[in-house]
Amino acid sequence: MVTAALRPRTATSATAFRRLAAGGRRAGRGARRVAGRGFVVFCAAVLSAPFFVSVAAPPVAAQTEEAALAALAGGEYEDAIRQLRRLARGRDATPAVHRALARGLARVGRYDEAEEAARDGRARHGAALENVLGEVLTERGRHPEAEASFRAAMAGGADDEVTARVNLAELQLRTGRREEAMRAFDGFIDFYNRTRSPSSAELTAVGIAVRHLGVEHSDLLQDALRAFDEAVAADPSNPEPHLRTGQLFLDTYRSPDARESYQQVLARNPRHPQAILGMALALEFDGSPEAMETARAALEVNPNLVPARTLLARLHLRLEDYPAAEDEARAALEVNPSSLEALSVLAATHFLRDRDQEFDAVRERVRALNPNYPGLLTTVADMAVQTRRYADAVALATEAVALDPYSWKARGILGINQLRVGAIEEGRAELERAFAGDPYNPWYKNTLDLLDTFERYRITETEHFRIVIDGREAELLAGPVSALAEEAYRTLAERYQYEPPIPVRLELFPSHADFSVRTVGLAGLGALGVSFGSVVAMDSPSARGRGEFNWASTLWHEIAHVFHLALSKHRVPRWLAEGFAVYEQRRGAPSWGHDMNPGFLIAYHQDRILPVSQLNNGFVRPTYGDQVVHSYYQASLVCELIARDHGPEALVAMLREYAAGATTEEVFDRVLGTEMERFDRTFTDYFEERFAGALAAVEPLPALAERGSRTPEEISRLAAAHPGNFIAQMAMGARLFDEGRLDEAEEYLERARDLFPEYAGPGSPGWLLARVFVQRGDSARAVREIEALTGINESFLEANLEEAHLKEAARDARGAIEALQRAAHIYPFDEETHDRLAELAGEQALHPVAVRAREALVALDPVDMAGALYRLALAHHRAGDASRARRTVLRALERAPNFEAAQDLLMTLRGSPEPRPW
Amino acid sequence: MTAALALALLPATAALAQQTHLVVVSGAGGTEEYRARFHEWGGTLTRAAVDGHGLDPANVVWLAERPDADPLIDGPSRRENIEAALGEVAGRAGANDVVMIVLIGHGSFSGDDARFNVPGRDLSAADFAVLVGQFGTRPVVFVNTASASGTFISEMSGPNRTVITATRSPRERNATRFAQYFADAFAGEEADADKDERVSVLEAFAYARREVERSFDEEGLLATEHALLDDNGDGEGSAFEDESDLDGALARTLFLSRGGGRVTDAQLAADPELAALYEQRRALEERIAALTALKDAMDAERYEAELEELLVELTLTTRAIREREGGGAW
Repeated sequence: MVTAALRPRTATSATAFRRLAAGGRRAGRGARRVAGRGFVVFCAAVLSAPFFVSVAAPPVAAQTEEAALAALAGGEYEDAIRQLRRLARGRDATPAVHRALARGLARVGRYDEAEEAARDGRARHGAALENVLGEVLTERGRHPEAEASFRAAMAGGADDEVTARVNLAELQLRTGRREEAMRAFDGFIDFYNRTRSPSSAELTAVGIAVRHLGVEHSDLLQDALRAFDEAVAADPSNPEPHLRTGQLFLDTYRSPDARESYQQVLARNPRHPQAILGMALALEFDGSPEAMETARAALEVNPNLVPARTLLARLHLRLEDYPAAEDEARAALEVNPSSLEALSVLAATHFLRDRDQEFDAVRERVRALNPNYPGLLTTVADMAVQTRRYADAVALATEAVALDPYSWKARGILGINQLRVGAIEEGRAELERAFAGDPYNPWYKNTLDLLDTFERYRITETEHFRIVIDGREAELLAGPVSALAEEAYRTLAERYQYEPPIPVRLELFPSHADFSVRTVGLAGLGALGVSFGSVVAMDSPSARGRGEFNWASTLWHEIAHVFHLALSKHRVPRWLAEGFAVYEQRRGAPSWGHDMNPGFLIAYHQDRILPVSQLNNGFVRPTYGDQVVHSYYQASLVCELIARDHGPEALVAMLREYAAGATTEEVFDRVLGTEMERFDRTFTDYFEERFAGALAAVEPLPALAERGSRTPEEISRLAAAHPGNFIAQMAMGARLFDEGRLDEAEEYLERARDLFPEYAGPGSPGWLLARVFVQRGDSARAVREIEALTGINESFLEANLEEAHLKEAARDARGAIEALQRAAHIYPFDEETHDRLAELAGEQALHPVAVRAREALVALDPVDMAGALYRLALAHHRAGDASRARRTVLRALERAPNFEAAQDLLMTLRGSPEPRPW
Repeated sequence: MTAALALALLPATAALAQQTHLVVVSGAGGTEEYRARFHEWGGTLTRAAVDGHGLDPANVVWLAERPDADPLIDGPSRRENIEAALGEVAGRAGANDVVMIVLIGHGSFSGDDARFNVPGRDLSAADFAVLVGQFGTRPVVFVNTASASGTFISEMSGPNRTVITATRSPRERNATRFAQYFADAFAGEEADADKDERVSVLEAFAYARREVERSFDEEGLLATEHALLDDNGDGEGSAFEDESDLDGALARTLFLSRGGGRVTDAQLAADPELAALYEQRRALEERIAALTALKDAMDAERYEAELEELLVELTLTTRAIREREGGGAW
């Protein structure tokens, strides 16, 4: 989903590297240092040897150990473990062998054996094995024992004492001893500055420490990266700094860089479970469905890899598969009962199913492990957002911030969701704090940048709405948007016998990217509108091309969501919420809402339309391109079916059941008296009966479905052989139309139209037929075809304009006016449409219509503003509104004092005769 | 604001004595499609100047790539012809005359050298700076509607100069549309925003800029040209997207037409009463302008009432002028 990284808002200055740079260490010089250090080690080995050894021919034992370590580094774990076990049994086995054995076993998830191996090693080498033992114990969540081991390593002066120190500090952090941990991390800067030749492992430890310090001082993240780079330079074969670098990149929202880091580990060892997991995390960040498969690949190497299980649980949670999420979380906790991350996901599975007691119990477990851990609350808040429970997210994030003021994630969730519930100033302030702590976060930056533009927006207050529109469009849109929003509120309040909290904040964005940022923090969202409950954001009609959508229909849809979310206390599932909203669109105006199209019918024939009981998957895990769109339409049909069989009041009852905490199965049982499986069948019967004709007509023909274009002869043969097939008739009709053989095309197109009359898109037979009739000069039949289309399709701008044109030519001015009004509603930014509408309405003495059209023209800020104002004044005058006429003509003359027609009108308004035409 | 207002009111009297000279250059088209366009736009502007705005044909020069393409074309748009034409205008233009030079065609930019493409050797911004330098302190309107014309602003800027470019930088290298709408501004009535029956250079610029923007919008394309205007001599162009622009005061006083409405200088000299009415109208325009400048500081109702009174006086004066001119009062 996101690959772009952003620079901090305030550029990181060169002094950010002060403490590390003071040592003069940079990656380039680090490489020279490694060479020098290698030389020192070699000399020491030669001088201390009790007998002369040939450097060119190392001892057999060493060769074997090297081979074992190489097998381990290359991911040949079984072979490595076997060799290391044999070596460890040897009298001269080095601490390195024991460590490698314990680490090798741990890497494939054999933690019990790893612990045993570490303990055996400790029995022989003492402190040298304590750190590894501590690491293995940490994997099992045995924190007190792990801490004792780390301390023993430090006290015993083990050669990996620096690693033990950072491990201990991380353990302290995980167990809520933040101050202790931060003091320890701070010590690593001194260590770095005074140590002449730190090893790769030690530099990695420095990087880890500085990364943690970077939570409070983000500029230090650069230093952490540099320390990891130096660790890599010191020993390119050490995977740890690569893994930590990958994590750091993910923490700073740079998934391509993260993937590159993990790739470097995988190039040496394709079976490194942490590196595979890292790739899975990067894919999760990108929103790729491959994340799950990749996490499973990590578990194939290490079935007990707790973070991989936790990731899987999180991914299941995102797909709203709560039982699977719970299973994975519990599997993770079997390995490590103290895993805060696994407990957090488990808590989320309870929260989202309203299992309050279970949720509280998990919270207690986490509190006992780390009383200041914000991660449980942020994880749950994140998931609450996904299920549209924004107020819950605010409450959870508020608690998280109280626990840990340095949790920028908690502050970010809090700020963004405050914005979603309409607390704009509070949200902005919180987001500013989050961004100060996490200046790499693109969501925070984009949102703050968007908020900066709010000053140019104009607010219009109505009875139930606070309408926020860009100042450049407010004059044009505020009127119609206010009127429609109030109409929607009144209609739905009456229908649902319920009034959601007011004011509802309604924001219209002239830039789709801004709407997208308002919704998800990033550009690229495909939707037209979103309802957060009491806040609705949507594209202004100017955000899309002419006729791409019908803003009024979208507005009605989103306001319907306001009712459904409030009535269900934000518990209605996504699929049903969308079904309700499209159903209400259609009740708002017959042409509004998604329509049946050939793609849906073909998908039905191909068994790609989901049973109702699985319809949520069509929204949260679509498997083909149009599935989300098809799911919207299908869900609306579900609502139509329920309303038909149980009355519209059943829909209200369902929402109230969700509010009471019922599951979908329970809602269907209690309100409709049916099980989901039975309802699936009921829906199928309903669908197949209602669309029997269309289903039969749109059956895919294998000969047409094959790839490649068909010859005219083939199409002709198919059309003749399948007179009842819409696709064949349409293909033939379209071909003949393209060839200009209109008379011949007509027959096929009429047949196609009759086979599937619900289809009203620009590619429909009705539209082609209308063009045939226009070209033939048969306006009456063209109008009939177009009327059928505009009655179904909510956003067919071109058809509405053509209808107006034809009706005007046929002297059906009233009909033309209606078509122009629809066109002006779909796309209010077209001057010509308003101008034609104003002229026709004026001629028909429909003065209010003429005035509105003239007002729209003025709002469009035309070059000839004086002329537009004059014509508006004239419309007011003819509508009998002398006061507005006077004020408006003064505005015209203010710009153009010598505008003689306007002067005449002014004089007329002051008592002179009727103004002359201009 | 006061300074701008004073300048805006200057031409009503000053314009009576001055003439306007127009030099239109349709440059090298490169392809037949562009050649046709550049000829068409040059012709639109030239005809509008003579037929619509009453310029003396002797004061209009149109050079183009194919002189045989239109009887109004005076010669090929080669470098030497352009130099000669400008030299000739410099020699005969009066001290107060306005000189408008409009370049229609393609431009190019390499390094720091912006050029206007003509058949044969191109002319650079520096070349034009020298040629325009011949006009001394006369008001000059220099319009380069070519691609990559942005740097001409800094090269050509100066006192009493209005410089317009179709692009804001030399990096905007796509073929431009500005010339079409700039010519249309003088050919039609829509650009006359203040309805004084004349199109000022500023009105033409605003119209063309707006129409360019609209054409890109309607096609769903990102605009590849952004015109600028500089008339305060600071070498910085303004886009007039908000009220912070420092330019415009001079350009709003400059017209293709001689100005002054329907009456000729001779008629005014022969009819002192008519001259007095014109003077009265000018004074009323001045009072209206002064009042509108105070709008934000005034009570709305009082402002409207005072404005209405002045407008009524202006209307009556205009009617008296029309009657005196023989058009008859309406």
